[in-house]
Amino acid sequence: MHLPIDPATIAIRAQDVTLSLGTREAPVAILKGVDLTILRGESLAILGASGSGKSSLMAVLSGLERASGGSVSVGGVDFGALDEDALAQARRGRIGIILQSFHLLPTMTAHENVAVPLELAGHADAFDRAADELRAVGLGHRLDHYPAQLSGGEQQRVAIARAVAPRPTLLFADEPTGNLDATTGATIMDLLFERQAAAGATLIIITHDPVLAQRCGRIVEMRDGLIVSDRAA
Amino acid sequence: MNALDWRASWRIARRDLHLGFRGLRLLFLCLFLGVATLAAIGSLTAAITQELSDRGRNLLGGDIEIAMTQREARLGDKEAFRQLGTLSETVRLRAMAQRAGQGRGDAPPAILTELKGVDGAYPLYGTLALKNGIYSPLDPDHILIGDALAQRLDVRPGDRLRYGTADFTIAGIITDEPDRLGEGFTLGPVAIVSMDGLRRTGLIQPGSLYAAKYRIRLNPRFDAVTVRTDMEKAHASDGWTFKDKDRAAPGANRFIERMGQFLSLIGLAALVIAGIGVSNGVASYLAGKRGGIATLKVLGATSADIGRIYRMQVGAVALLGIGAGLIVGALLPPLIVALAGDVLPVSPGFRLHPLPLVTSAAYGLLIAFLFTFPPLGRARTQPAAAIFRGAVETGGGLDRRSLIAMAGAGGLLVALALLTAREPLFSAAVLGATAAVLLLLLGLGWAVRRLALLAPRPRRPLLRLALANLHRPGAQTAALIVALGLALTLFVTLAGIQTSLDREIRNVVPEKAPNQFVLDIPSTSRDRFRAITLEQAPEAQLNIVAALRGTIVAYGDQRVADLKELPEGAWFLRGERGVTYSDALPQGSDLTAGQWWPRTYAGPPLVSLDEEAAKIMGVGIGDTLTVSILGREITARIASLRKVNWDTMGFNYILVFSPNTLSAAPHSLTATITMDARHDAAMTRALLSAFPGVSVIGVGDVIDQVGTIMTQMSRAIVAAASVAILAGIAVLVGAIAASRAARSYDSVILKTLGATRWQILAGQAIEYGLLAAMLALVALGLGLTAAWFVIVRIFEFQWQPDWAVVLATLGGGALLTLGIGLAGAIPLMSIRPARALRQL
Repeated sequence: MHLPIDPATIAIRAQDVTLSLGTREAPVAILKGVDLTILRGESLAILGASGSGKSSLMAVLSGLERASGGSVSVGGVDFGALDEDALAQARRGRIGIILQSFHLLPTMTAHENVAVPLELAGHADAFDRAADELRAVGLGHRLDHYPAQLSGGEQQRVAIARAVAPRPTLLFADEPTGNLDATTGATIMDLLFERQAAAGATLIIITHDPVLAQRCGRIVEMRDGLIVSDRAA
Repeated sequence: MNALDWRASWRIARRDLHLGFRGLRLLFLCLFLGVATLAAIGSLTAAITQELSDRGRNLLGGDIEIAMTQREARLGDKEAFRQLGTLSETVRLRAMAQRAGQGRGDAPPAILTELKGVDGAYPLYGTLALKNGIYSPLDPDHILIGDALAQRLDVRPGDRLRYGTADFTIAGIITDEPDRLGEGFTLGPVAIVSMDGLRRTGLIQPGSLYAAKYRIRLNPRFDAVTVRTDMEKAHASDGWTFKDKDRAAPGANRFIERMGQFLSLIGLAALVIAGIGVSNGVASYLAGKRGGIATLKVLGATSADIGRIYRMQVGAVALLGIGAGLIVGALLPPLIVALAGDVLPVSPGFRLHPLPLVTSAAYGLLIAFLFTFPPLGRARTQPAAAIFRGAVETGGGLDRRSLIAMAGAGGLLVALALLTAREPLFSAAVLGATAAVLLLLLGLGWAVRRLALLAPRPRRPLLRLALANLHRPGAQTAALIVALGLALTLFVTLAGIQTSLDREIRNVVPEKAPNQFVLDIPSTSRDRFRAITLEQAPEAQLNIVAALRGTIVAYGDQRVADLKELPEGAWFLRGERGVTYSDALPQGSDLTAGQWWPRTYAGPPLVSLDEEAAKIMGVGIGDTLTVSILGREITARIASLRKVNWDTMGFNYILVFSPNTLSAAPHSLTATITMDARHDAAMTRALLSAFPGVSVIGVGDVIDQVGTIMTQMSRAIVAAASVAILAGIAVLVGAIAASRAARSYDSVILKTLGATRWQILAGQAIEYGLLAAMLALVALGLGLTAAWFVIVRIFEFQWQPDWAVVLATLGGGALLTLGIGLAGAIPLMSIRPARALRQL
């Protein structure tokens, strides 16, 4: 039996979400009818093996990909009704995304990389806030360094700073430690949870690592494009 | 470690090579475009010169031709000609044709024609084709006319035409005059009469400007070139001109060969520019193969193996591009001939011409080798770890072996261009200028990268990204600047040339030109001519001068016949030119050195010479010139030099003699009449009535002819420049393609962070806009310099471009290139971030 949920507490609601990729003649079903509700302030891990559809689900929930079917509502906004540019604007300042391969802009310094989403969101004090955020992740001495001049761990810290700088309500992290060694990975996760708490954001972590998943309050497990379990950690 | 053998290398190379040349399409396109252009130009030039040579006998009307002006050959000379074979004699002059009877209401009273008298043996070769019927020798009362003449005077067979004092019945309409091209430049449509018919006209008088030509079908034992050479030596001072069947139309031959060389050089310059695109195309292809190269190295492939595998891939595509270019280049000439219509002197059929094809292929191979070597060399020598690290470490130096190979290829390229050139100096200058412009633009590219790197970082992220794109590792700034700079420069050059030429025709010529030129006025009728013209148009301004024809046979101690090659620009030493005498400095000339002779001068012969001609021949005041006039050599001392203002369209002569030198020689007068245009028709009628032998040329006819020639020149220049612009666009497209991976990455990240598609497009627009704005200034400078050089130094016209059109063209060109750049960015807008992120 499900208890009724106060709509004001819902961060994301996904209903019967499907996603097909490939060609029209040979479509590949990636998501096959996902139902998921995430509450504000929750920390949730989406766990699954490679190819289970967890990264695709993150892409749909964060507005990077439009669902082929079903509905996705984020903060009360129906993503299905938005076009590409409206989705980009919906992400601005509200959704932060951290990727496994960091994906920093190579021609910009760490400081400039963190400032970009703040500038896009129209913050006049973008550079000051970017510097504060970098100091908060321990990179105050690396402001003017380019990505190529930073280690993997440092690059991921910049990526975290960039994601949390606009104070998003939703924070996605796709295999955030996948490219890092265990010690650095643990440090990065500490940092991620710390920054999440500081920002008061909902955190959704995509991972295939059960140990990492255990650090979240709730674990959703996926297999073959479907949610097969949804439990508290 | 043993290197992979060729077979194994090719197996790997072939497996890795996409059937549609994906990644190497730019290499294919650039080589195809350049080689096809060169092959087409070379094949067309060869086809035309071959056709001129093959049809030499028909074009000339004989195996050899001896020509002279204002006189006919003596009986003894004609007898000597007959000893060589069958002789045919023609006399040709400009003459006014009048309709004898009522014509169309708007038909002119008389028009200028080329009247040719022919003997019974004409034509020795070929057929004089008529609209209805077959040509047979004419009786003295009949005439054959060209279709243009029939239409303009509204006459048809059976109607009567008047020439001089004789009337003729039109016997037929000429559709093909076999020796038309060999006759050279003509001002009006042709009409043919018998020699007796020509004498009936009374137009052949002592001093009349006519040309007598003697064509000989040689007996089989004589060789045309040997006979011509022997006769040239024997009659060096007679003022005759000689042609043989191998160069029946030397003017057309010279024009085609020069035009062919000029266009080939432009084609070669375009190929060199396309080389930048080739280099970029291969570099971006290899960048895409970076993972594969590194993996091969990890698996044990040596640098030599890597070099061989990718050289094979690049070589295979390059050979296919060159091959396709050769096929298209060989097939294009018939199409060009069909499109060109009457612009070309002959219409050759399809034939393969191996030499231009081999030369074009050699150029293509050398360019491919020269420009693919740097990226291939780097891929070969970079360590696997460096390759894995990515684009940050592109660039870097080349090893000595690669540098030597490249220098060798460059040297061969220059040597090939110079060895196949008719005028190596000119070719070297064009190649040098191309290299200089390329180096300048490449240098500018380097400077822009440095400036972008050192410039303060803008606060706005898209502006910052645009600036960063100019200096980021692997940035295509240099290629973009070369492509954009070149395209804009060519747009400005073309606009400058075109508008200057247009104004030259529209403004200068009509303003300064007289209304009519009158030729063949009897030398004894100067006063009567003046009285008649002033009676018709009291305000008329007249300039009457004596007209003779003469050949410069020696300057100083130098006999022209002994020169192996004429000095550069010495067109006046080639054959006969108009000469005159005057007791005063002629109108349209300024004295620049020496003194004009006194009006009553009666001493040894003196001559005043054009200062440009003096400079070219290396003679000055006090030196001697020997000129053959009417078969007699006259040696005169140079008394003064003049600057001749050729653009006044008056009678401008290089040689003006003191009156006592020539006034006793048989000659006629020519005159220019400047008056109100409403008197034109009445003046023509009055002059023809008083002087049946004169020719009246309306300035409009001349301007039309000049306009037609200028338009054709402009078209050739536009066609040549279009090839270079196409090459520039190919480089631009290549540069955009080469930077696409980096731009896709940036776009995806920016979209993930919330940037809209229009913001991403705006970022690109800022980058290209910055470049286009800066290059517009450079292009304006370079393009105007080039246009000025062509107008002032080559055509010797006034520099008067239409600035509004030039600036509008530049703006349009900048927008066009900007548009091409942004079109390349459109695919970036549709990239779905989630899908792209999976592959990043």
